[in-house]
Amino acid sequence: MVQQMKPGQLVQLQYNGKLLEGLIMPRSLYEDTMHITLKLKNGYNIGLDIDKVRLVKVIEHEATAQTEDEKEYNEIGNGPRVLILGTGGTIASKVDYRTGAVKPAFSAKEIVDMVPEIGNIASISVKTIMNELSENIKPENWSIMSNEVYKAFNSGYKGVVIAHGTDTMHYSASAVSFAVENPPGPVIFVGSQRSSDRPSSDSAINLQGAVTFAAKSNASGVFVAMHAGLDDNLVAVHRGTRVRKNHTSRRDAFESVNDIPFAYVDIENSIIKHENEAIPKGKIKLMPNFLAKALIFKFHPGISESITNAVFKGDLLSVIIEGTGLGHVSREIFPYIRSAIDNGKFVGMTSQCIWGSVGMAVYETGRDLLAMGVVPLGDMLSETALVKSMWALGNGLDLPSVMPLNLRGEIASRRPVEK
Amino acid sequence: MKMGFEIHIQLNTKQKLFCCCNPHEVDTKTINFGRKLRVSSSEMGEIDPAAEFEIGKGKDITYVSGDRTSCLVEADEEPPHAPNGEAIKSAIKISNLFSASIVDEIHFMRKIVVDGSNTSGFQRTAIVGLDGKFVNGGNYVGINSICLEEDAGRLVEKTETGPVYNLDRLGIPLLEITTEPVEGDAMLGEKIAAGIGRTLKLTGLFARGLGTIRQDVNVSVGNYGIVEVKGVQKLEQVRKVLEFEEKRQSWLVELSKILHNRGIGKSDFNTKIVNLTDIFLASNSQIIRRLMSGQNALALKAPGFSGLFAKEPVPDSRLGLDLADLCKLFGFKGIVHSDEISKYGIEGQILNEVYKRLDISEKDGFILIFGSGEKAYRCLEMAKLRLEASLYGPPSETRMATEKGTTRFLRPRPGASRMYPETDIMTILVSGEMKASYRIEMKSWEETVNDIAGKYNIPHQVAEQLLDSDYLEWFTEAVMAFKSIPSTVIASVILQTFEELRKDGLQANKSALFDILDAVNKGNISKEAIHDVLRESLSQSISVESVIKRRGLISISKDEMSKIVASILKDSVSENIQREKIYGVIMGRVMKQVRGKIDGKLVDQEVKRQIEEKFGTN
Repeated sequence: MVQQMKPGQLVQLQYNGKLLEGLIMPRSLYEDTMHITLKLKNGYNIGLDIDKVRLVKVIEHEATAQTEDEKEYNEIGNGPRVLILGTGGTIASKVDYRTGAVKPAFSAKEIVDMVPEIGNIASISVKTIMNELSENIKPENWSIMSNEVYKAFNSGYKGVVIAHGTDTMHYSASAVSFAVENPPGPVIFVGSQRSSDRPSSDSAINLQGAVTFAAKSNASGVFVAMHAGLDDNLVAVHRGTRVRKNHTSRRDAFESVNDIPFAYVDIENSIIKHENEAIPKGKIKLMPNFLAKALIFKFHPGISESITNAVFKGDLLSVIIEGTGLGHVSREIFPYIRSAIDNGKFVGMTSQCIWGSVGMAVYETGRDLLAMGVVPLGDMLSETALVKSMWALGNGLDLPSVMPLNLRGEIASRRPVEK
Repeated sequence: MKMGFEIHIQLNTKQKLFCCCNPHEVDTKTINFGRKLRVSSSEMGEIDPAAEFEIGKGKDITYVSGDRTSCLVEADEEPPHAPNGEAIKSAIKISNLFSASIVDEIHFMRKIVVDGSNTSGFQRTAIVGLDGKFVNGGNYVGINSICLEEDAGRLVEKTETGPVYNLDRLGIPLLEITTEPVEGDAMLGEKIAAGIGRTLKLTGLFARGLGTIRQDVNVSVGNYGIVEVKGVQKLEQVRKVLEFEEKRQSWLVELSKILHNRGIGKSDFNTKIVNLTDIFLASNSQIIRRLMSGQNALALKAPGFSGLFAKEPVPDSRLGLDLADLCKLFGFKGIVHSDEISKYGIEGQILNEVYKRLDISEKDGFILIFGSGEKAYRCLEMAKLRLEASLYGPPSETRMATEKGTTRFLRPRPGASRMYPETDIMTILVSGEMKASYRIEMKSWEETVNDIAGKYNIPHQVAEQLLDSDYLEWFTEAVMAFKSIPSTVIASVILQTFEELRKDGLQANKSALFDILDAVNKGNISKEAIHDVLRESLSQSISVESVIKRRGLISISKDEMSKIVASILKDSVSENIQREKIYGVIMGRVMKQVRGKIDGKLVDQEVKRQIEEKFGTN
């Protein structure tokens, strides 16, 4: 009897001598196989021990979820043409309350249905270019994103929005920043810290911020648009090379480091307040290749010798050190660094303090490292430095000369007092 | 009448259900933040208009978050922690208590709630027990389910732009106990609610105090729609609400018959909303001019409703009131209906024009609102549906209990709850061992009452009233704190004085109780003054101490009182009062001077003593 019960069936069961009616739900990978999940008529799910239930009858064999026509309607809404690129995760999704399934919205029509406000700001087109959780994004994916951005501007879009999982969004934003030089309009990454199936999701506000910026700002560059604070009214637009996810769960997890946000979008009034300017300095240029032979080496007391050895003597071509304080590592690491540089590898220095610039002339350790040929990377984020070196390697650039240069706002000679 | 109960009662766990905050702490500082909630209408399916209005644009929700009672979890800035084990244990114990089948796995669900009371936009809830029963004396009622859920945020105020909620209450574990419907009268309803409430109290698993137990009562008459009454906080409200609903719903059944007798049917409701702005602009009525200011006058014919809006066989049961409450949902101040149109001072000529435009005959009525935009039309469309529903008796809807035991329209009854799994929380396995061992051993109600009566030296009946009330803990604490005040005096302040004050809309609080008892204890006031001082303190929101100072109610010593008695007696000698009347006269005069300043019993003794000394025994 038990074997006959399958997810999707509407059944009547006997449990503890009482009759129960409900829909058998699929079990997730981490739930055991000794129980079944039953969705009762009142919407609640309960778990029952398979050995304790008796199937009385199957009322309906396949209560399948209705499938919808997933045609792509593009150019929905009024205003400048904005392209939303989907990379995975969900910027908008709806719930089937009968089965409890969450279904992502992929078409322009669905997204505009979910967040109708953006249809008043721009004419929206949507293209899904990959479907990856952000932790699974690889440098190859950055190349795809960069190519798509380039194509979009060549097809006359005013701006491009890239919906992205938040975990590695700042890596991707940094990558596209380097790969697409002088975009004629803004490229804005956007994500959400609260999944879009909940009424309290930040995705709608963030998307409105991103689309507003894409449609109305003339800034050239790659940005990240996310909540500025806990309130649902202000979206901060950060420079793609300066932004970091600094909190595991808050809406305002993304912050500009060593810089103020590039702009803010007041959602209620659909107004952009620019804190900075960025005009294209030339024609759009694409350099979309990345070579992933680089690594962030976070130094810490008691770091393993075998790991250190593997990092500096392996096949990596670039090591970005996250040193302590102003840019230091213990003297035990010196020989490894020296030999790596002697073997033509690039070794750059950033700080694990996150805020502030490295200053390697202050202490003797710093001067020793400089003498070895370690390149100080100023106030560049270690993640940005990593991505930049992969990009430089991928496009055959000379790392020691390119890495310390300010190409996309990633490094600055002065830092504002205001954090 | 058929009735069912949904009892929500807070567990007294130290921490909240999904985080480590202690809701009983006192916040030292708070922050505010603003949010919007959204659920797209397409996914809501048959969306109820109230919810639609609530999630409509322009509604902002403000949250007040304290540093001790709430954290990032309540702010919806951090995923929920694993559910509180103590709460799960209690839920299993209560399921066992009601002989329910306990599930083998607890699955938390998200139940969509868009009024803003939950920062997430949903309430987390899980079924723990199913199909139980409650047996009490000769009464038996089935228990549908026992759910463990999180309490919602506390509404602090409703502003023009939206509600303000405090997060201190959000996340406190609640049990929701839902009974099967039972047929019977209000008396039976009260017995069931009281019986379940008393049983729950005895377990010691629940928090006490006002607002810690809330009941929703479902009532229907005949085979008509089920009316859900929310916010019944006190037991004595249960019977009143049930009685009121039975009468109100019976009146609506009657109303449907009247409409049928007037020949009104479904087809009569093919009416259109008519814009009468031009007509009303011509009116010189002050009220109309004020209502019009920049707004449209929109009207709807109410076929057959003449005289039926204002009719109320029981107070507060009139249809006009329900319609006005409906309009308030849409943000309008109210509604004008034909039964009260004469109050508006509108010129007869204009009224005639209104009747003509709406095509109204003698048996018909109309409703009118002053507003603009799509909202105004939607509001009237809703009102029209409500009018049409009158053809079929009491409609299914959600109402709110009032303090006096009546109910007011809150919103149309929502469809089935919109639920989906809470993916942030892992499934909780309930082992056979947990089911077997999480049980409650408790004394019976009688035994508990006897214990209290014995321990605090109070009559049995008083002990029972205290146990029934929300204030047993205040009583026991006060008895410990003020040992020199008789426990019966403390009980009477809590049971009688509080109740009298409550009838006048004054809500006593713990600090006022302790302040007043402290004053009695120090001899600053006599116990006779408790009632008046408390009333003055609560009604004017000033401290007990200031009231005492202001009134000069510092008590006098026995010696001083004795001197007053002596002097009054001396002054009265010349009046030649009859011996048998002396006590009454003198006592009256003395009390006039010392009332509230000294114990009346002492005055009585002293007056008797002095009279006997002077005039001999009677």
